[in-house]
Amino acid sequence: MSLWVDKHRPKDLMKLDYHKDQATRLKSLVQQSDFPHLLVYGPSGAGKKTRIMCLLRELYGSGAERLRQETMHFTTPSNKKIEIMTVSSNYHIEVNPTDVGIHDRVVIMDLVKNVAQTHQIDSSGQREFKVVILNEVDDLTKDAQHALRRTMEKYVTTCRLILIANSISRVIPAIRSRCLTIRVPAPTEAEITNVLQSVCKKEGLNLPTDLGMRIAKCSDRNLRRALLMCEACKAQQYPFTSDQKVPEPDWQTFIRTTAAMILSEQSPKKLGEVRQKLYELIIHGVPPDMIFAGLLKELVQNCDMVMKCQVASYAAEYEHRMRLGNKAIFHIEAFVAKFMAIYKKYVEESLM
Amino acid sequence: MQKEKKWFKPLFEFGDSPIPKKVKKDSSKIQKPKNSNKDSAACQSNGNIPHINDRNWMKNFDPVIVEDLAVHNKKVQEVDEWMKTACMSSKSDMLLLSGPVGCGKTATIRTLAAKYNIKITEWITPLDIEYPTEFGDYEFKVSQSKKFLEFIINSANFVSLLDNNSCKLVLVEDFPNVFIRTPSEFTDVLQQYKVRAKSPIVFICSDTHTDNKNTAFHLFSPSLKEQFNIHHIMFNSVSATGLKAALKRATEIITKKYTSTYNIPTADIIESVVNTSGGDVRSAILNLHFASLKGSSGNLETSIIIEKEVKSKTTRKKKNSANKFMSLGKDQTVSILHGVGRVLNPKELINNEGQKVLTHCPKDIIEQFLSQPSSFIGFLEENYLPHFSCAYDVDKAASALSESDFLLAEWREKLCQEYGLYTAVAGLMLSNKSPVSAWNPVRGPKNMRVTYPDLRELPLLEPNYLYKGKVLVTDYITYCKIIGNQTKDVDENT
Repeated sequence: MSLWVDKHRPKDLMKLDYHKDQATRLKSLVQQSDFPHLLVYGPSGAGKKTRIMCLLRELYGSGAERLRQETMHFTTPSNKKIEIMTVSSNYHIEVNPTDVGIHDRVVIMDLVKNVAQTHQIDSSGQREFKVVILNEVDDLTKDAQHALRRTMEKYVTTCRLILIANSISRVIPAIRSRCLTIRVPAPTEAEITNVLQSVCKKEGLNLPTDLGMRIAKCSDRNLRRALLMCEACKAQQYPFTSDQKVPEPDWQTFIRTTAAMILSEQSPKKLGEVRQKLYELIIHGVPPDMIFAGLLKELVQNCDMVMKCQVASYAAEYEHRMRLGNKAIFHIEAFVAKFMAIYKKYVEESLM
Repeated sequence: MQKEKKWFKPLFEFGDSPIPKKVKKDSSKIQKPKNSNKDSAACQSNGNIPHINDRNWMKNFDPVIVEDLAVHNKKVQEVDEWMKTACMSSKSDMLLLSGPVGCGKTATIRTLAAKYNIKITEWITPLDIEYPTEFGDYEFKVSQSKKFLEFIINSANFVSLLDNNSCKLVLVEDFPNVFIRTPSEFTDVLQQYKVRAKSPIVFICSDTHTDNKNTAFHLFSPSLKEQFNIHHIMFNSVSATGLKAALKRATEIITKKYTSTYNIPTADIIESVVNTSGGDVRSAILNLHFASLKGSSGNLETSIIIEKEVKSKTTRKKKNSANKFMSLGKDQTVSILHGVGRVLNPKELINNEGQKVLTHCPKDIIEQFLSQPSSFIGFLEENYLPHFSCAYDVDKAASALSESDFLLAEWREKLCQEYGLYTAVAGLMLSNKSPVSAWNPVRGPKNMRVTYPDLRELPLLEPNYLYKGKVLVTDYITYCKIIGNQTKDVDENT
């Protein structure tokens, strides 16, 4: 049995639940035989991938849904063997180049070359190009992005690229200008509630409106998370009650306890303990920017207006450095140290 | 002996030997300084600038007898014993000497050989540039390792016509490159030598910082040493007292013979030389030579300037009032852990004006630094917290570290690396106003490799869908656990 998120994913552009206007435009885009490279961006859980899969179905028919998994092997110039997981159909291939870290350039160049060099055998009635889907383009190294730019031009006749990113601010302008950029905004809370209601109806369940609203609020306008939350709620307690607990992701709880640690004591020793917690979060793969945002959100709740402003501005400064730097932990730790200093000063002043 | 008026003279005397690679170093040559004294007198009477009177003036100060050696007595004894037994038995014994540069490895062997009247034959790798013949083609050349083998066996087994001493010793300091590339060939050569030669052989290797360039480590593996029963004696760098004794001896030689060339070095100068050379006898002698050199009588002015230069560049340190030549001597190098210690436990001194001064200023630490800035900063980051006691200081330090990481990210600009390192080092040293003095073991930086959850652990996911690691962590994993547990319960109930 599969999750609701996967089970009830719309398969047709016209059956999408929101952004319907955009969907019709996408449909007309592929009805002409050709389309440019695409750069689809938007926050996590907004439905980027769903739209792309619908697009592919529109292009190639149901053949694009027959997926298979395959591990591909590449060799870097320094003779290191790397392997990467791909999912492909006869018409497209999808890959997360960031899985291989700093070797992403090799993957992009070799993969696109492989795909682009093999022409479609059965060209009767089919499109004469294949599609390569690259995930998390904004996390690619600069090297890889420049390589991508070159390959985009070179193989434009035999393959189309669809790039997926969360934000285009870290995609180099050269790529942005070569693609048709499509923004997929996060669904509103009302839209999420509607989707939850319709999914529950399909499952034969009855979802109280209040609970639906609350799940939508907790989900941070992330539809995937909302659906997972809803299913988890069902698993915990059914029939639903409107005041039942909505489980939150465990890393959020973890960040909350870390923030409580910071507030409990401001000393180098405590900072050392906080650092261990941060290491744990990072090693388990929670993206550093989400740690940053989570911490800030928790910490400012205990501040007055002046401090809030100060803390937020420092958070912005360190977060920016983190994006440009190499080691995320340095910057998160510097932010925590800064907050400790500010908070300690505040507490000492109020005691006097 | 031919006299050449060149300032530079070859160190190796090839003589008229038809085979240039067979360099014969006569142990008797060490005593040469004795007769060279006359030359200097002759030169001076000419009114010319007095020459330094040997082809290699360093030899003036070479140790003559065993007691002159700056090496520790125990080590000398160890080598002495080996040499006695090896040369008497006339078998192909092997000895490996290793140690830092200028700690007296070669000098020990040479002096001891002179003591027992043993003839040393040294291998010097010939040039392997090929010159074409007049017809423009290249001659067939014997391989380097073959030449080497031939040479060491010949010199071990055959006595020179020119002298008639019976004991011989083969010395190898200069290893042919071929062995560095393929150590297995070296094993073959040793095998041959073991069987065919009748004299002991001594290998001398200088230690270097990096392991892969270290011949003693690379070429002489433990198994090889065992196989050929190679005796390994490790030398340490010369102690300060040893150096001082050696310099005192040099001073005596100067006062006896070379007052025309040198000023008699004062105790201050000797002290500075000892401090500058860092356990390296050879460089100590060189420094002494430069520090106490004097020009000719007709050229006094320049000599004063030189002297002034040396003196003015002599810095005085407050702590131990030790002098060091700024312009001479070796650079100090700092290992990574040493560096971490210096940065995290900054020591302050009060100088003459009553200001606080750091004993090791950040600039010096950076200049003496060998390893990658990013790895050093990684070490600093991991270890700085226990040294701080105040949250305000930590804030400054953490901020400096964050800045330096930001600077280091620009790897294309070399200067940025240096700036980044400086920011971190100076930031940490200056921000800690109330340091904790406790013993803290240094920990290595954490390996920050992110491990995303394995798809096989989450059976609920679609098999043919490409999940992103981030999304798995942030969204799926918690709920999959909840839902998964529930479905298991249901299954069990039914």
